[in-house]
Amino acid sequence: MKIAMIGWEYPPFKVGGLGTHCYGLTHGLADKNVQIDFYMPKLKQKVKSDNKNINIIEVGEAEVHPYDRPDDKELGGKFFDAVYRYNDLLIKRVRGTYDLIHCHDWLTMKAATALKEKLGIPLILTVHSTEYDRSGWIYPNQWFIDIEREGMQKADRIIAVSEFTKRVVVEKYGINPDKITVVHNAVYPIGDGEKRNLVLFLGRLTIQKGPEFFLKTAKKVLDYEDARFVIAGIGDMMPRLIEQAVHLGISNKVIFTGKLTEEEVKHIYKISSIYVMPSVSEPFGITALEAISAGTPTIVSKSAGVSEVLKNCFKVDFWDTDEMANKIIALLRYDSLHDTMRQSSKREIQLFTWDRVAERTLQVYRGLA
Amino acid sequence: MPSICFYFEVHQPVRLNHFSVFNIGNTKDVHSTYFNQQLNKKIFEKVANKCYLPTNNMLLDLIRQYDGKFRISYSLTGTFVEYCENYLPELIDSFKELFKTGAVDLIEETYFHSLSGLYDELDEFEDQVKMHRQMIQRIFNYKPKVFRNTEAIYDNRIARKIADLGYKGIITEGAEKILGWRSPNFVYKPVNVNLKVLLRNYTLSDDVGFRFSARNWPGFPLTATKYADWMSNSFGDVINLFMDYETFGEHQWTETGIFEFLRHLPSEVLKHNNLDFATVSEAVERYNAVGDIDAPWAISWADEDRNVSTWLGNNMQIACFNELKDIGRKLKRKGDHDLLYVWRLLQTSDHLYYISTKGFEDGNVHAYFSPYEVPYDGFINYMNILQDLKEKAEHR
Repeated sequence: MKIAMIGWEYPPFKVGGLGTHCYGLTHGLADKNVQIDFYMPKLKQKVKSDNKNINIIEVGEAEVHPYDRPDDKELGGKFFDAVYRYNDLLIKRVRGTYDLIHCHDWLTMKAATALKEKLGIPLILTVHSTEYDRSGWIYPNQWFIDIEREGMQKADRIIAVSEFTKRVVVEKYGINPDKITVVHNAVYPIGDGEKRNLVLFLGRLTIQKGPEFFLKTAKKVLDYEDARFVIAGIGDMMPRLIEQAVHLGISNKVIFTGKLTEEEVKHIYKISSIYVMPSVSEPFGITALEAISAGTPTIVSKSAGVSEVLKNCFKVDFWDTDEMANKIIALLRYDSLHDTMRQSSKREIQLFTWDRVAERTLQVYRGLA
Repeated sequence: MPSICFYFEVHQPVRLNHFSVFNIGNTKDVHSTYFNQQLNKKIFEKVANKCYLPTNNMLLDLIRQYDGKFRISYSLTGTFVEYCENYLPELIDSFKELFKTGAVDLIEETYFHSLSGLYDELDEFEDQVKMHRQMIQRIFNYKPKVFRNTEAIYDNRIARKIADLGYKGIITEGAEKILGWRSPNFVYKPVNVNLKVLLRNYTLSDDVGFRFSARNWPGFPLTATKYADWMSNSFGDVINLFMDYETFGEHQWTETGIFEFLRHLPSEVLKHNNLDFATVSEAVERYNAVGDIDAPWAISWADEDRNVSTWLGNNMQIACFNELKDIGRKLKRKGDHDLLYVWRLLQTSDHLYYISTKGFEDGNVHAYFSPYEVPYDGFINYMNILQDLKEKAEHR
């Protein structure tokens, strides 16, 4: 089987779960003898394939990040231009004999739907997030929603990363549930490190990820227990968050790391003793699996897709900072809790393999072939 | 000729309120802040309607119908009886009526269904056994002759204590690790004291308790006729069928046919000339011990492991257990009776059971019974309450 997969980012140059997913999925599929031409925008640094079944084809030039929500109109304009340019180029560049096209999220939907018609082959769409998630369900942008809906309607099959996302696709976009398959994400384990007294937030600093709830929680914890709170990542909320930390009087206990490299991300997972993911809306949340694989007990938002499948973690409402603090304090105080959770959750995530994701994805492909 | 010894465990724990770290040190009325009376009342009433009341009625009818040939035994925990007295006194009346038939025996246990049998000293255990004895005396004017510890937890030390307290028999699990090649269908004696031991036939007991509605089980569907045949073909003196009372109507819903099974069981059993029913007291009186039981380490009837790992299997459980014991020492020095009673309610083994992280097969059973989403939540909640009680034990 040979497929054309259209993506946006690929390790080592990635900003989110989309890149991680594409890497894991393509390798899982390659191991099952699927040949993949992976199309992506050309970056400053060249991306190389490390697998004979995966051929990476860079198209055009677009140095934009798929999940930025530029407030600035000019920047926003450039961003949309880049997306259009990439899609236009794709339509010209993708040719050859493929059994199907597989694309991810709205960024490549225009091209993918055009290619489906041009080549006359089935289209599979994986939904990693929707505009509702990215906006934190506050003023979602109709422009994105329309693109997403059109792509979802035209796709022959849709893969959703969680039951939660499937529900959004059905209820908000009016898509027939019968053509949607849920395939939960997986993780390449990172491995334990020496733990320090750190509580970690890692993600884009946007409304969707709920970093302000992390800071409110930090304040409550610090009234009882000592710890450092690390905010790893960048995003439009950074200035507000720095201000908030000062306002709460905890700025000496909060560390903003800025943008981290892949290696730095691994390191911070390893040395953190607790990972918190207070997302307002989180279709899946691979970072929870990554943190656990580094031996870090994890607290996830109940509205995260990962909470559907992960048993050995804490699940809280993202707004319930009292309860989040209650759990962090207990994890800091009681080694028995920390140790038991670390061991059980590490054992559990051995079930979350990319091989399983590839197997389920292949089942979807076969259903169409 | 095997006698069938049918015995039911009747217990409800006093479940806890959500108790956050921010509540520690800020509680006034301990009882209402620690315990979730609303939830407890709701669950108790639900189970009473689904199980306790209908099953009592059916068993009373059956005992009368078979003129006392159908005989059963009960163990009622102190917390269960307090629920009855607070919310449903007619349920106690119903048990009294059953007892008056003369075909019903009562078994002793620790009042709080606790793990006090595993403490370093057995003084608290003895206190709780005596509290239970007083309760049975007060309500039924009866002195039980047979003892069964919480979840059938048993070791040589507990056996000695129970012999010292004057009981004739003790019940535990027919586990291979104490029986070896031997059958549970006989009466045994502890290696160290003069007492009779009744051993649960876990295969036949779990056929009803766990597997009754399991469609992938070769014995499905289990009928009273089939079950009586199995027992009639069994070898031994006594077949001990011990199970949770909630099996009837709660663990196995009415729709599974569990009540129909129970209704037909006495007649099907009594069709066999080699079978009869006996209460636990009758069983220990009637049959001689055929061999010794040696249990240097505690066994129980819980989970596949049949040891105490269900309650003390991970570090969280052990941390709570140690706190619990420590608080007890402090409270006993202080002599505060209200707090002592609250401490005892917290000793109910269920609180530690909810913190078990045992793997899938057993874990699923735990999740079914637990008010918490994950055992880690159970730990935090229980530990926070223990910390609050500890502060009170130290300062009040």
